[in-house]
Amino acid sequence: MITLKSVYKTFGNIEAVKNVSFNIGKGEIFGILGPNGAGKSTIVNILNTLVRPDRGDVIIDGINIRNDGNTIKLIMGVVPQEIALYEELSAYENLMFWGGLYNIPKPELRAKAIETLGIVDLVNRKDDRIKTFSGGMKRRINIACSLLHNPRILVLDEPTVGVDPQNRNHIFEVIERLNSEGMTIIYTTHYMEEAERFCDRIAIIDTGQIVAQGTLKELRHISGIEDPDSRGTNLESIYLKLTGKELRD
Amino acid sequence: MFKLFKKDLTLFLHDRRSVILSFFLPVILITLFAFAYGSIGSYNGRSEPVELLVADLDLTGSSKEIVNKIDSLEDIVVVVSDSVRSRELVIKGEYVSALIIYKGFQDSLKYGNSIPVELIYDRSREMEIGILQQNLISTIMSSTGKIIVNSSIERYMQDQFPDIDKKTRDAILKTAIRKDNNSLAVKWTSIVGERNDTKLGLIQAVAGTAILMLLFSVAGVGTSILEEKENGTIKRLLYSPLKGSTILYSKMLFAFFISVLQLTAMFLFAWLVLNMDMNVSMSGLILMIISTSFAVSSLGIFLAAIAKTRHQAQNLSTIIILVMSAIGGSMIPMFIMPAILQKIALVSVNYWGIQGFYDLFWRVLPLEEILPKILILMGIGVVMTILSIRLFRKRIMKL
Repeated sequence: MITLKSVYKTFGNIEAVKNVSFNIGKGEIFGILGPNGAGKSTIVNILNTLVRPDRGDVIIDGINIRNDGNTIKLIMGVVPQEIALYEELSAYENLMFWGGLYNIPKPELRAKAIETLGIVDLVNRKDDRIKTFSGGMKRRINIACSLLHNPRILVLDEPTVGVDPQNRNHIFEVIERLNSEGMTIIYTTHYMEEAERFCDRIAIIDTGQIVAQGTLKELRHISGIEDPDSRGTNLESIYLKLTGKELRD
Repeated sequence: MFKLFKKDLTLFLHDRRSVILSFFLPVILITLFAFAYGSIGSYNGRSEPVELLVADLDLTGSSKEIVNKIDSLEDIVVVVSDSVRSRELVIKGEYVSALIIYKGFQDSLKYGNSIPVELIYDRSREMEIGILQQNLISTIMSSTGKIIVNSSIERYMQDQFPDIDKKTRDAILKTAIRKDNNSLAVKWTSIVGERNDTKLGLIQAVAGTAILMLLFSVAGVGTSILEEKENGTIKRLLYSPLKGSTILYSKMLFAFFISVLQLTAMFLFAWLVLNMDMNVSMSGLILMIISTSFAVSSLGIFLAAIAKTRHQAQNLSTIIILVMSAIGGSMIPMFIMPAILQKIALVSVNYWGIQGFYDLFWRVLPLEEILPKILILMGIGVVMTILSIRLFRKRIMKL
């Protein structure tokens, strides 16, 4: 479904992405883990055609992003790290606006907005302004806004930052539900337990390079940390071993 | 683009503070300024009379005649005082000026000596001094001139024709100083602002305030782009199939639309509530509203484009708008500004907008006469738009 082949991207003197390659299969949940400034967001922006790689190829659903960026945007939904919503608009108005950008016919979009509000369990708050929502509710609407055009690929860039356990659990359920319906998910996070919970495969990235990738079992093998009994901290140990313990900017 | 425009309009209408700032605040300010400039209410088109202290130390027929004549003027009210007290009152700032007629005034007139009259004044009150100067010179000159001519002729007659009888001498004098012989027949005719009922102060209040407020609301639209960048909505817009330039153009369109709406609302208010005479070139008015809105909205977007953060944009806009409005005539009418400031004002968008509206409502000029100002405003708009697009592409659309 998604292939990155030796992708490089430099901003000035900073090499944000260096020789990154991976494959993501259809219906897979692929986790991208890395410390701050590792290059996760640059990879997300490359996937969504916002940033053009200096070298390398990115093929999504058989389309090279250099040739047809607009089609890529139509098949991909991106949930940004920020709560990118209009606080003065209601949840429904936000959905209608963001969905409207994909030229979905009005009646279809109305139905889709209600359906999506159902997915994130906010139908009863549809006419309330976003500014009256809690952080967790805003995160749920943030996801909903990226689902309106029925994307085949959903990229979630740290979607649970600052969310309470109930809302976080609800977000996980939404992701699992979407994945069970066949959606390919790319998930970037700092939280190891999230990646462990539902990522089929994980890429650990540091200073713009992939330091390891594979299933959790494969990562355990690569890192040399084989501790199947302490599952909750296992990925964290692997992550720290592979990326080091130094503080990042 | 229309979807983004509609979203911005909905956000604008949801934000009551923005609506109040954009429409109600200018209305209040226009009304206040119109009152301040004396253009509404019971104002009859004249300035308030200036109070003039007069100390008549001569107390002769001639000096009394002069004082009476000054007192009869519409623009001056005479307050009788003595010379010492007059000086004190002017120094304290209670009166702008005092006229002191010294002893020997009448004799000086009679014998053709220099006239012992002094005008002491507070030069900080330039406008009132101007009114006094104009009125006093003409009154004193005409009155004293008559007396001087009279006594000169009388003296000449006595020297040259000492034997002439009194009846004949009086007849000659009467003929020589006949009123219609002495009066200078200068006809004063106001030719500007006579074809339209709108008072100058009202045009200044409406155009000056409207452009000032327009700049503030449009700068708000500009800074909303930076706000959108900060809260991530610009990034999300870029994730959609929209082009980066579409996002910018829609903001510009919205800023232009709000400007046109605001300016139109201001003139409608001035027409319906403040009795502004709309008997002017309609095509000129429409083009002035469009070109002013275009220039102002482009400038507002440009101010946001040169800033790096929303906070910086807000501070920068406030400073630039206030300075530009001060020198451009939004706060103080251009005609009372010093010549150097009037030249500097040419770089201000306020200047061209206000002068265009003066041409329209005060000078009642046809469209072709206003066209150069319209073109300058459009030119400002085009330059600001090009610069804004470049800066935005460089700073905002880059993630």
